[in-house]
Amino acid sequence: MGNSPSAERSKKIGVKSPREMAEENKDISMLDVTEANKLAEPAKRNSNSSLTHSFSHMNIDGANNLEAQPPLARRKSTLIFNDEDDEIPPYTDHQEHGSEGLSHTTSNEEQGGNNETVSSVSVSASATPSDTSLDNVTAEQSVGDSKTSPMPAVSQTASYIQSGNNQQQNRNSPKPAETMVPVDITWQQGGHKVYVTGSFTGWRKMIGLVPVVGQPGLLHVKLQLPVGTHRFRFIVDDELRFSDFLPTATDQMGNFVNYLEVVAPNDTVSQQQQLQNQQLQSPQQLQQEQQHQHQLQQLQNIQDNPQTPQVSEIAPGAASQPTSSSKPVSARSRIALEIEREPDEIGDGFTRFREKKPSRHELEYTQDIPAVFTDPTVMEQYYLTLDQQQNNHQNMSWLTPPQLPPHLENVPLNSYSSSQGDNNENNSGALPIPNHVVLNHLATSSIKHNTLCVASIVRYKRKYVTQILYAPLQ
Amino acid sequence: MGGTGNELEKVLMEQKLAVESIRSFLKSKTSYDVLPVSYRLIVLDTSLLVKKSLNVLLQNNIVSAPLWDAKTSRFAGLLTSSDFINVIQYYFSNPDKFELVDKLQLDGLKDIERAIGVEPIDTASIHPSRPLYEACIRMMGATSRRIPLIDQDEETHREIVVSVLTQYRILKFVALNCRETNFLRRPLRELNIITQGNVASCQMTTPVIDVIQLLSQGNVASIPIVDEENVLVNVYEAVDVLGLIKGGIYNDLSLTVGEALMRRSDDFEGVFTCTVNDKLSTIMNNIRKSRVHRYFVVDGDGKLEGVLTLSDILKYILLSAN
Repeated sequence: MGNSPSAERSKKIGVKSPREMAEENKDISMLDVTEANKLAEPAKRNSNSSLTHSFSHMNIDGANNLEAQPPLARRKSTLIFNDEDDEIPPYTDHQEHGSEGLSHTTSNEEQGGNNETVSSVSVSASATPSDTSLDNVTAEQSVGDSKTSPMPAVSQTASYIQSGNNQQQNRNSPKPAETMVPVDITWQQGGHKVYVTGSFTGWRKMIGLVPVVGQPGLLHVKLQLPVGTHRFRFIVDDELRFSDFLPTATDQMGNFVNYLEVVAPNDTVSQQQQLQNQQLQSPQQLQQEQQHQHQLQQLQNIQDNPQTPQVSEIAPGAASQPTSSSKPVSARSRIALEIEREPDEIGDGFTRFREKKPSRHELEYTQDIPAVFTDPTVMEQYYLTLDQQQNNHQNMSWLTPPQLPPHLENVPLNSYSSSQGDNNENNSGALPIPNHVVLNHLATSSIKHNTLCVASIVRYKRKYVTQILYAPLQ
Repeated sequence: MGGTGNELEKVLMEQKLAVESIRSFLKSKTSYDVLPVSYRLIVLDTSLLVKKSLNVLLQNNIVSAPLWDAKTSRFAGLLTSSDFINVIQYYFSNPDKFELVDKLQLDGLKDIERAIGVEPIDTASIHPSRPLYEACIRMMGATSRRIPLIDQDEETHREIVVSVLTQYRILKFVALNCRETNFLRRPLRELNIITQGNVASCQMTTPVIDVIQLLSQGNVASIPIVDEENVLVNVYEAVDVLGLIKGGIYNDLSLTVGEALMRRSDDFEGVFTCTVNDKLSTIMNNIRKSRVHRYFVVDGDGKLEGVLTLSDILKYILLSAN
């Protein structure tokens, strides 16, 4: 994530000028951190503080300036809190120390932000394992190491960070793709008590939004949502509202709702990111510009002299290197922990929505192609075994390919007529949201009364039109 | 007295503010915003036979569809119930032309219009990303009470029919999303938006063809049916015509309107009435809940006084001077 602002900057053509809400968070926290540092160490040279916050950005800048980022990597980095799904190299740990050293004066919230930065930075680093960026990284690594040992952290916040580090280390081993995707939902249209409710809570429970530190009027909440489209609205001071800054649509009942599409993190850029991106305010960008300038300079410094004593002083509260003793907690989980502390009863009969952590299996990736795909005899054996297991019916069914790819058998139109009968509300012709694999396919009905009926689902901007054309058979 | 005076003033002010707020809502939203995330759109090729198109409409439970000219790859207007009314009138005055009517294609509707001297199908359309307010204004000029949303394909620059918005959908959208509608508390009689006096009506025994002519002449979407006492008993809507000529049968034009109503499907929403003392907030609340297309204004004895159409409501919201 820290990557993307610089990526944007290096491109500078203003690809999509407004970038990402989550980023906003993070940037803010970094700014705060800087300020906090100034406060905490008023005597200290300003150069230190700028140096610190440049830390979290550093190797990205390096990566971006030294070579063109592959677009995918950049996109990835814009994924909101996508830290769990990418492989994090161990050398990023020190960065956390870098920022965390300051965070003893800041709130948990901000630390979360910092952490996010760090992890996303590492994403970019891992995505572009070029010599140059790695060089930067290793330079910083030594910096980080040098400063970590002297100051064991005791504060509560520090322990969070520590476990965060753990988590990152754990993440070094590849993980199976997750089904839950972290999403940051923000509200910036005033109000004091802001909640979000939506399809992800069955519209029954409300999730409170918390103010973003340093951003008056901006509230947010981070949720883990399953892949798919989610509809939601905000409850602002007991009034049901929708955000003008997020995509909107009418649902089947005609209600105006916000929606976002959560895609698996491995996909290319998701809509929801885009919408987050759009929320980045221009002031932030300006700040980033400035930071960027700083960082360029500081980057030089660090590369020249990676083990300056000043650097180690910047990280007074740095935790010792992560150990395996504490339970891994990700940045997100830390935020979840925070939310946890708030009472579940929100009032008015609403209770807080509790996310369920998906149970994960430990899976491993391999380069070896299983013999079942390479050796015909093994393959046959495999299918014969399958047949035996399934017993009786559909013997040797694997010999005949399916008539249609399975995903094409569920055409939204086929479910339309049945749902319409009992639902008079559906006068806007609303359909379920189609799976993207059925887009741009031509479906036909059997020819009746010399009339041909063809249908095709196409995207129109961010919505889906199922066009049905009736034409005579010539 | 002073208290009630203040109360009245408050209602007046609130209504004024609410209308302004709804208006700015309509200006801030686009037609695109009204569309569901995923929806269907039924389009008819202009070479389709008129009688077949009728079946398609009935089958899909819709009353209108955009037309597509495959030869020019362009949008070719909207097919609505008024087109069928035109055909009925043409056939009624030219009973010998059954062959022509039976083989009539959608692109031949223009000739029918010319023959009976009515206005052609309106082809007014609007880009989906234009403000909803603009779409409403444009729609008021259209007799079809709906407006097609047309965009261009980025690559081929051909027209795309995105969707069709109706007055009802826009008003429902407002009712659902503008809480300000709750503050429209002035009684209707003060607003001067009810069509009173010269409302065409018929009786149960009136021949349906006469009612169809009333629909066409008055350029209205419905004719109230009253008894001898002028008490409202039912309504004949332009969309009821579709059921009447189902399957291309034009033999039933001699029926009375009462008999013709027997063809109406069971899911008819009913006739909605109101009084001059009702408020727009109640009206909008009803629009939110059910598919209302007009309110007949009745007095305490159920006698017909006037009609309040969706156009009237929309016009008030969009253009009233306050």
